[in-house]
Amino acid sequence: MVANIRKLFPLVGPLLTVIETGRVCPSAIRIPSSALDFSFPVYGCLTPRMRRRRTCPSGMSVENTRAEICQILIERQLPSGGWPALAPSPQTALEATAYSMLALGPEHEDEYGRALRCVLDCQNPNGSWPSFIGDDPEGAWTTALVLIALAENFKDVRRRHKGFQWLLQSAGKESSWLWRWKFRTTDRQVRFDSRKFGWPWQPDTNSWVVPTAFAILALDHLPPSWAKEHSGFRLQRGTEMLLDRVCPGGGWNAGNGVVYGTALAPHPDDTAVALLALKNRADESVAVGRSLEWLMDSALRISAPWSLAWSALALAAYGRCLNRLLSSLAEQVRAIDIPDTATLAVVALALDSERSLRLLRVKL
Amino acid sequence: MTMTRRELLIAGAAVAAGVSVTTPFFRPRYRIHRRLRRSRVALLRLEDYSRPIDELLFHGLALFPIKVQAKTVLLKPNLVDYIPGNAINTDPRLVVAAAEAFRRLGARSVVAAEGPGHQRDTQLVLSESRYEQELRLHSIPFIDLNRDELLRVPMGASYTDLESLWLPRAVLGSSFIVSMPKVKAHHWSGVSLSMKNMFGVVPGNRYGWPKNILHWRGIHESILDVCATVPIHFVIADAVIAMEGNGPLNGRPRPLRTVVLADDPVAADATCARLMGFEPDRIPHLHEASHFLGNSSPDLIDQVGEVLRRPEVPFQVVPEFQHIRAI
Repeated sequence: MVANIRKLFPLVGPLLTVIETGRVCPSAIRIPSSALDFSFPVYGCLTPRMRRRRTCPSGMSVENTRAEICQILIERQLPSGGWPALAPSPQTALEATAYSMLALGPEHEDEYGRALRCVLDCQNPNGSWPSFIGDDPEGAWTTALVLIALAENFKDVRRRHKGFQWLLQSAGKESSWLWRWKFRTTDRQVRFDSRKFGWPWQPDTNSWVVPTAFAILALDHLPPSWAKEHSGFRLQRGTEMLLDRVCPGGGWNAGNGVVYGTALAPHPDDTAVALLALKNRADESVAVGRSLEWLMDSALRISAPWSLAWSALALAAYGRCLNRLLSSLAEQVRAIDIPDTATLAVVALALDSERSLRLLRVKL
Repeated sequence: MTMTRRELLIAGAAVAAGVSVTTPFFRPRYRIHRRLRRSRVALLRLEDYSRPIDELLFHGLALFPIKVQAKTVLLKPNLVDYIPGNAINTDPRLVVAAAEAFRRLGARSVVAAEGPGHQRDTQLVLSESRYEQELRLHSIPFIDLNRDELLRVPMGASYTDLESLWLPRAVLGSSFIVSMPKVKAHHWSGVSLSMKNMFGVVPGNRYGWPKNILHWRGIHESILDVCATVPIHFVIADAVIAMEGNGPLNGRPRPLRTVVLADDPVAADATCARLMGFEPDRIPHLHEASHFLGNSSPDLIDQVGEVLRRPEVPFQVVPEFQHIRAI
């Protein structure tokens, strides 16, 4: 009888699979190809190998999906040892490389070793890291991500120190009294407290939520002997800045909560990254509680793997139930082609959240 | 009156110093000149997006002597973020119709490309704003300009003090760039039209979200520099439902029921500004662009299609831009 139901109602089939096995097979839930043509990549070009990988056997588990993503990451590693932002670009992007290193970990000895050499080779003379290999040498927000990804594997103490030094010196432009004065007197359309500053995406610009959150997470990787006296003030200001920039209804976007008196909408990925950064230091604040509620409420409606993966990681950090989110994430990642390497790597991190949160030094 | 040699030397030195200090202010700050002798703008009536757009756009393009045979066409819509009910993004049906029209005109390839400036998750904006579905259905590839491979390009003008920009290969490799803005009032630049729309080619992976460096270097100055560096070959502006007030995200929808086509971005933006009830010359980047990027004067624009009618009540804007309203 079940077979007949499957034959008559093809869309019911996948649901029966879930009921029978207790597991979600993303390929089984995909809309039949006659309804929508998924054969054409929306997001740039894909290699033939990636296209073949889009079909998965019935009953694929979350663990298997993660293993498959790691395999794709391995295949995408560039001769430089790094990873591109978008496949099949030959340009090494440091954001994608940092996430991929975290996702694969030292257990993938060969790939991790090559990535380590690549990242160490492209450190700027001032201690920072660029956005991509070939970029200008003044440094970028990716420095924080690289310091997280390297962690204790960064054996050269002098260069590691230089990286953290650069990060501690990098600050949003509103950290200077002159700009602070400007923001408090004339430039007041965006509501924020300019005394509370964090980190910018690139030098000579304002503080924003995502680079500040990653810098806070990176400073949790400071060796204990350097920690408090060097980073205490910046960590406190950065935390205050995140709490100040929260949207009125909870959650964060790039960093503008209210503009011209109008509340702007939060974004799930920015919210999740900010929540991860605040877990070790302000997890009982009202802003965090409200943002967590907003993320819990929004997460199941998220239709893109990047935001969903970050949300799953953040909710795991706060001990919220994950099973439906992870199933939904695995389903999404199987149903579409993802040439964005950072997205793939973050999905892999989310599918093994306990390990990932340990790597990020987020206390559970 | 006689002058000693010493006085003559001092006077000469003073004149030389004065000239060297003031000359840079009078020297043009652009290195390229793209202004046409005459520009052409077409206004096409479109009541709403559910009407057939393909034929309208195809016949609209026939009003221009454009040649796209064997060219790689890049459609650059305005795709910023998604807030239900707000007219933030260029409607995907217009982008699809443009792609189909350029394919019929013989383009070698047509892609849509954008680097959203506010939302990092491009896939989420694509999916929530129905782009993903529409683009897949019509097999139109999409390139995320925030994450594409980057090449360094010297600036075509020096209104900011940026000497170069890192720009996506997809943009630099295209032979016909079509700016497809959503017609909006904008709280930082007065208007967001085809020229402001080009902020989307500046990659977030390098410059962040939002692309804050452009704000610090001056919005109008950055618009001029970006548009001098990346040529806009054609404009298809979505003014079917425009936005007034606190744009680009939180303004109110305002129907103009018009699609604006133009072979000149300055002429397109000046015409859109008039449709919104603004004086184009009061918008700093439009005024300056009319010296080298295109024509803003109605005398230099051949207007075809519908008749341009200024609204009885100009679009609402934030207090800082009240002066651009033609009242």
